Amino acid sequence: MQSVKIYSTPTCVYCRMAKEFFKKNNVAYEDYNVAEDLKAREEMMNKSHQLGVPVIDVNGEIVVGFDRDHLAKLLGVK
Amino acid sequence: MYDLIIVGGGPGGVAAGIYAARKQIKTLLITDSFGGQSLVSADVSNWIGTKSISGYDLAKNLEEHLRAQSGTIEIIDNDLVESVKKIGDGFSVSTKKGQTYATRFLLIASGSRRKKIGVPGEKEFEGKGVYYCSICDAPLFGGKTVAVIGGGNAGLEAVIDLLPYASKIYVIVRSDALKGDPVTQEKIKVHPNVEIIYNALTQEILGNPPAGGLVTSLKYLDTTSNQNKDLKLDGVFVEVGAVPNSDFVKDIVKLNERGEIIADPRTQVTSDPGIWAIGDATDVLYKQNNISAGDAIKALLNIYEQLNKRK
Repeated sequence: MQSVKIYSTPTCVYCRMAKEFFKKNNVAYEDYNVAEDLKAREEMMNKSHQLGVPVIDVNGEIVVGFDRDHLAKLLGVK
Repeated sequence: MYDLIIVGGGPGGVAAGIYAARKQIKTLLITDSFGGQSLVSADVSNWIGTKSISGYDLAKNLEEHLRAQSGTIEIIDNDLVESVKKIGDGFSVSTKKGQTYATRFLLIASGSRRKKIGVPGEKEFEGKGVYYCSICDAPLFGGKTVAVIGGGNAGLEAVIDLLPYASKIYVIVRSDALKGDPVTQEKIKVHPNVEIIYNALTQEILGNPPAGGLVTSLKYLDTTSNQNKDLKLDGVFVEVGAVPNSDFVKDIVKLNERGEIIADPRTQVTSDPGIWAIGDATDVLYKQNNISAGDAIKALLNIYEQLNKRK
């Protein structure tokens, strides 16, 4: 079973694009709003060594930003 | 072989695409995303016919309108044109993903990209306190102190994006006045959390080393007193203008000293009679979504005439 987490802010357009991409490809994901959830924000910083959204965790692989091709490869979708 | 390749998916590229489809021109549109630079605008209030729309929704609308065209237009939405070569009676267009396409005519609507300030610390702290997408990362600065570099429309928009979150916003402006729309200027000038620093040249962005360290301060030169000053802060949002995306045609069409493609304002044709260009990639006097769309349609109609002449 795949584990997909996205660390996002409510206004971030690239976060929205990433979530739409997940939905379109039937990928289940957990969404953490790092504008409010400070624990998740710290987790995101520890994983990505930076403070900027989106950060996407696919089975432990960390992607910073919405890199559609990279995500497609990691998720095995087109 | 296509009759036309359109490079770009902003308002200009999409406008040309829609007209090309309606004129049944065999067209390929290549872009890496839709909406152009407005994609990251919280609110676009000057797109004619729509009182207010987010950049995200504007991009969606443009894409949907283009995809509603049937027939003669093909769309590639996840690639980027990297080079163009002249071949016989047309052009060969190569992309980042290694694809090559042949076309008779070319319409460049590739827009522009964000300019960097080019000071020490900017690159090192990108994503660690230095940002180029205020709408994305502003919510991470609740109760914090930030600076926006740039007093044009993009800078003022960044201030608006930050106002609900940051407790203190410095606006660092090179000259002695803001350049953005007066409507937005008025909004931010009266806000108690905003402090505008004029005649200020950013020198360096400083922070905590090693990997993962975040920004702690910004050094600027006060050009009135000729003294360096420091601002303690947590984030820097860079909005200092744009660079035209014209590199991929710099050897085959004439550019001006700013790297903008020179286009005839009557027809949008460039120094090469098979290449047209519109919008922010060109020397057009005003960089605007509505102007890009209009100029793209002007170019497309001229391309249609030229195609008919050749038939």
